Amino acid sequence: MVISRLIARLQRYEGWFGVAAGLLIMVGLYMGLVTSSPDYYQGEVVRIMYIHVPAAQSAMFAYTVLFGGSIWYLWKRDPIVDNMSHAAAGIGVFFTLIALITGSIWAKPTWNTWWTWDPRLISFTIMLLILVGYLMLRTFLEDKEKEATYGAILAIVGFIDLPIIHFSVEWWRTLHQPLSISTRGVSIASDMLIPLLLMSIGFYLLFTYMLMVRTQMLYLERLLEAKRGRMLSKVHV
Amino acid sequence: MKRFYIRWGGVLIITAIIGVLGIQRYNRDVTSISPDRLLREQPAQAVRVLGMVEAASIVKEGEGGPVAFQLSGEGTKFSVRYIGEESENLRDLKTLVVEGKWNSTTQIFEADKISLVPNYGFITAAYLASLIPMGLFLFNMERRVAMLYIQIKEEKVYQPEEPLEVG
Repeated sequence: MVISRLIARLQRYEGWFGVAAGLLIMVGLYMGLVTSSPDYYQGEVVRIMYIHVPAAQSAMFAYTVLFGGSIWYLWKRDPIVDNMSHAAAGIGVFFTLIALITGSIWAKPTWNTWWTWDPRLISFTIMLLILVGYLMLRTFLEDKEKEATYGAILAIVGFIDLPIIHFSVEWWRTLHQPLSISTRGVSIASDMLIPLLLMSIGFYLLFTYMLMVRTQMLYLERLLEAKRGRMLSKVHV
Repeated sequence: MKRFYIRWGGVLIITAIIGVLGIQRYNRDVTSISPDRLLREQPAQAVRVLGMVEAASIVKEGEGGPVAFQLSGEGTKFSVRYIGEESENLRDLKTLVVEGKWNSTTQIFEADKISLVPNYGFITAAYLASLIPMGLFLFNMERRVAMLYIQIKEEKVYQPEEPLEVG
């Protein structure tokens, strides 16, 4: 009953997140593509940053949600939390792929290569592999509880990759530029920072919206499957 | 489901309008022409020309004054006289975009702005590679949820929340 109440809430409030995300992304895109100035060294190609950076941030946020959800699940064994973690992993794969593809498109005119064995790129690709592995593991197991438990353990172990992704540009000085916003200060012009912030917040809201919709989807799929199974067993017994 | 398709139809129409306006603006204000096209058409209005700075052609007329150089394309080149902010990007053999007007009397291109190669193709590719899958992902996910609610309703497997019995 608590779960169905939560699903009803998700259904009720998801629209607000969707609309807010859409508005922020539209304004951010306009500012990023039209009003912000080109970078002194990279020129216009810097505009890829307005989609690449928020996608990468959202991917890492998705993994953080997956990590938090996995701990919560192992502690409380709440199936809706498992649905949320499962949903976060799927959306995480999507945002990680977008970040890697846009990063590669950015790398070509900037570094003259589509791919390089840079620590940031490698650690980010490892995150994609962990997320894909998590989703694959969940398809191999028949027992739903085992599926959720093993998935949660894998997600917790894989979380070690997140600090490596974040600090890789500080620990290893390679092609990838260091953090623009850090404890050292902000090394980005305000006409670039504002659209970047708008896009980042927009993407976080979009992720939340997607998480609400996808959690519902997984819950409803399970519900339908369980109810049908129960109905079939009644027929066959 | 009808409301769902109307909503997504609206999103599609708005996206198409923004796309058309974007292409129009690109063709009008952003796109650059090649040096041979400039020499062939000799346009009277301000244009953007993409070409490479000829080696050893840069001549500065005093500190902060105009800079003269040659810009080359595929087998053609022309003289440019640039008056504007000093640019570190103005270097030998560098591919640049110069903005200004062609003076048909002096046969010199009078530039007032110098920019790096815009690489708009890469920018467009990055945005399309992100936004199109994002739209499809959202559409499919929302559609699946709407269908699941209908399926559950039709198959009468959904149990509405019952009030808790007290006492």
